[in-house]
Amino acid sequence: MMKFSRRLVLAVSTALTLSLGASLPALSADEIVIAGSLPLTGMFGFAGVGVEAGIQDYVKMINEEGGIAGRQLRFVYEDTAYKVDASVAAFNKLNSQEEIHFYYGDSTGFAKTINPELNRMGSILMAGTSYASELNDPATYPFQFMAGPDYTEMTGILLEYIAKEKPGAKIVLVNSDTEFGRDPIAGTKARAQELGLEIVEEIITPPTAVDVSTEVLKLRRARPDYAIFHGYLLAPIPEFMSQAKQLGLDTKFMGTFWSMDPGSWAKVGDVANGYMGVMPYRYADDEADDAPMLDRIRQMRPDYRSTPYMQGFLTAMLFSEAAKRTLEAGKELNGENLKAALNTIKDFDTGGIIGKPITISGNSIPVGRIYTYNAATQKMDPASDWISLQE
Amino acid sequence: MSDLLFFTEVTLAGLGAGALLSLTALAFVLIYKATRVINLAVGEIVMLGAYLFFAFAAGLGLPAWVAIVLSIAGGGLVGAILERGLIRPMLGENPISVFMVTIGIGSVVVGLVELLWGTEPRALPAFLGNQPIFLGEAYVSRKIAIAFLVSAVVIAGFVLLFRFWRGGVALRATASDQAAAYSCGINVPGVFSVAWIIGCATAAGAGILLGSIGGISPAMGVFGLSALVVVIVGGLDSIAGALIGGLLIGVFEAWAGTYLGGEYKIVTTFGILIAMLMIRPYGLFGTTEIERL
Repeated sequence: MMKFSRRLVLAVSTALTLSLGASLPALSADEIVIAGSLPLTGMFGFAGVGVEAGIQDYVKMINEEGGIAGRQLRFVYEDTAYKVDASVAAFNKLNSQEEIHFYYGDSTGFAKTINPELNRMGSILMAGTSYASELNDPATYPFQFMAGPDYTEMTGILLEYIAKEKPGAKIVLVNSDTEFGRDPIAGTKARAQELGLEIVEEIITPPTAVDVSTEVLKLRRARPDYAIFHGYLLAPIPEFMSQAKQLGLDTKFMGTFWSMDPGSWAKVGDVANGYMGVMPYRYADDEADDAPMLDRIRQMRPDYRSTPYMQGFLTAMLFSEAAKRTLEAGKELNGENLKAALNTIKDFDTGGIIGKPITISGNSIPVGRIYTYNAATQKMDPASDWISLQE
Repeated sequence: MSDLLFFTEVTLAGLGAGALLSLTALAFVLIYKATRVINLAVGEIVMLGAYLFFAFAAGLGLPAWVAIVLSIAGGGLVGAILERGLIRPMLGENPISVFMVTIGIGSVVVGLVELLWGTEPRALPAFLGNQPIFLGEAYVSRKIAIAFLVSAVVIAGFVLLFRFWRGGVALRATASDQAAAYSCGINVPGVFSVAWIIGCATAAGAGILLGSIGGISPAMGVFGLSALVVVIVGGLDSIAGALIGGLLIGVFEAWAGTYLGGEYKIVTTFGILIAMLMIRPYGLFGTTEIERL
C-alpha cells in the first residue's frame, strides 16, 4: 500500500494547483468585465432575454475586432426574475467573484437600492433597464446613466410631437399604479401646460388590472385627442384600443419605450393598427443608409431583434466607448473616470442605432422618434423625424 | 351623458369584472369544499388554461371552440395529475405543508410556461367578436358581457350539479363529514380527484376568458390573489359566496376606481377583506368552523 508522506502530499497539491491555475481563464485584470442582474424570468423576462442577447452580440463583435485597447470584454450575469433582493444578491455574488467595471441593472428599485454601494465603491459604472426620471440626476447618481431618454423625457418627446401635430390637443394620461407607471406624471403635466396642451383626465390602473371597462368609460367621457400610456409592456393597452374603437372614439393611443416592441403588437392583430409611441432607437429591420450597425446586427442575428435587444446592444456600446476613452486617456478604469469619459461623448455616431449623433452631458440621452404600428406589415413606421430635447 | 347613465355603465362593468372573479373563485371553492385544501396554484392554472388555448388556437390553428374544449380538458388533466401525484400523498399532513405544496406547484407552472412559451406578453386570437353591446343606452364591453354570461351559466350549472347529480351529492357529503361519507360507501379519494379535475378545468376556462380580455403572460396568475380575496369574503366553501363575493368586489372596485381613482381599487378590495375578516371571519356564506391558517 502506498504511503502518503508529507513531501508527496505537498508535491501532488502543488502540481494540482499549478495545473488548475493553467486551465483558468485570463485574470480579470486583462479583461473588461460587464456584469449584470438580468430579469431573464418573471414578468419582465422578455426584456432580460432581449438585453442579454444584445449585450452578448456587442461583446462578441468587439472581441472579434481585438477588444478595447487589446483587452477583451467579458459579460457575466445572473437571473433575478425582476426582484430587487435577487438583484442585490447577484450584485454581491458577482462582485465577490469578479473585478467588475460595468454593471447592468434590472430595475429602478435595484438602481436606487444599490446606488449608495456604487457610490461607496466608486469602481463601477452602471446602466440598466430603468429610465426612471429620478435616476437622471448626476449629483445623486454619479455612477449611473441610461441609454436613452428618461421616462419624463419620453413623454416630453411625445408632447413635442402632439403640440406640432395638433396644437391645444386634449390628452388623457393612463398610468399603472406602480413606481414605473407613476414616474412621468408630474413632469408630463408640467410640460403639457408649457406647450399649451390640455390634460383632461388622469387614469390610474392597478398593476394587476385585467378588465379596463370602467377606465374606458372614463376615457369616453373625456373624449381626448390622444391617450398616453406609461407603465405597461402590452396589456391593458390593446383592450383600451379595442373598446375605444367599439365606442367610435378617434383617440390616438401612444406609449413609451417598453410598449414599443412590434413583435408583441403583431400578436394583437388589427386592433393594434395605429398605436404610436416614442422609440429611442431604430428598429433592427430599418434599412436606412446611415445605419451600418443595423446591417451588422442583422448579419449576427437574422431572426430575433426585439426592442430590449437594441437597448442592450447600445448600452454595451456606450460601456465600451467609455472604457475606450478612459484607457486612451491613460486613466484607471473606475466609476469616476468611466463616467467622466462617458460624459465626453459629443455628437457621437452610434452607427445608426439612434438616428442622429448623440451627446451625453448628464445621465440620459433625451432623443427619440415617434413611430406608428402598421398591422398590415407588422412593423413600426416612422411618424416623425428624430426629436431631441437638448436642442 | 347623464351621471346616472355613467353610473349604470360603471356598475355593469363592475358586475362583469366581478363575474370573472367569481368564476376563478369557484375553482378555489370546489377544491376546498371537497378536500379542505386551499389551492394557491389556482391563479397559475388560470394562466396555464390561457396558454393552452393559445397553443391550440394560435399554435395549431384549431377552431376556437375546439381549442376551448381542449384547454378546459387540459386544465382538468393537470388537476388530476396534481391531485394523484402531489396532493393525495400529502393527505393527513399538516395543512400548512399542503398549502406550501400548492405554492410550489404555482411556481413550477410559471417556470414551465416560461420555458415553453417564453416570458413576453401575448394576445389570444380574437374569438369573442368586437360589436359593442348596449343595454338601453348603457354601453357594456362585449367581452365582459360574454364573461358575465359564461360565469353565470357555469355557476348556475354547478349549483344544479351539487343539488341533483350523484357526484355532486357525494362531494357535498364528503365536504360535510369525510368519515361518514366513507362509511356510506362514497369513494372519497375519487371525490378528491373529481374536485381537483373540475376545479382546475374551471380555472382553465376562466383563464381563456381572462386572456381574451387582458392578454396573456406568465405573470397573469396574480389574478388568482384577487379571486382568493373573493372566496375569503364569500366563504371558502360556498359556491353562492363565490358568486356574490365576486360581484360585490367587482362592483366596489369599479365604483372606487371611477369615483376615487384607480389607486383606490386595491385599497377598497383589501379594505373589504379586512372588514369581513373582523366581522365574519368565515365569510358571507362560509361554514363557521373553517380554520384560518
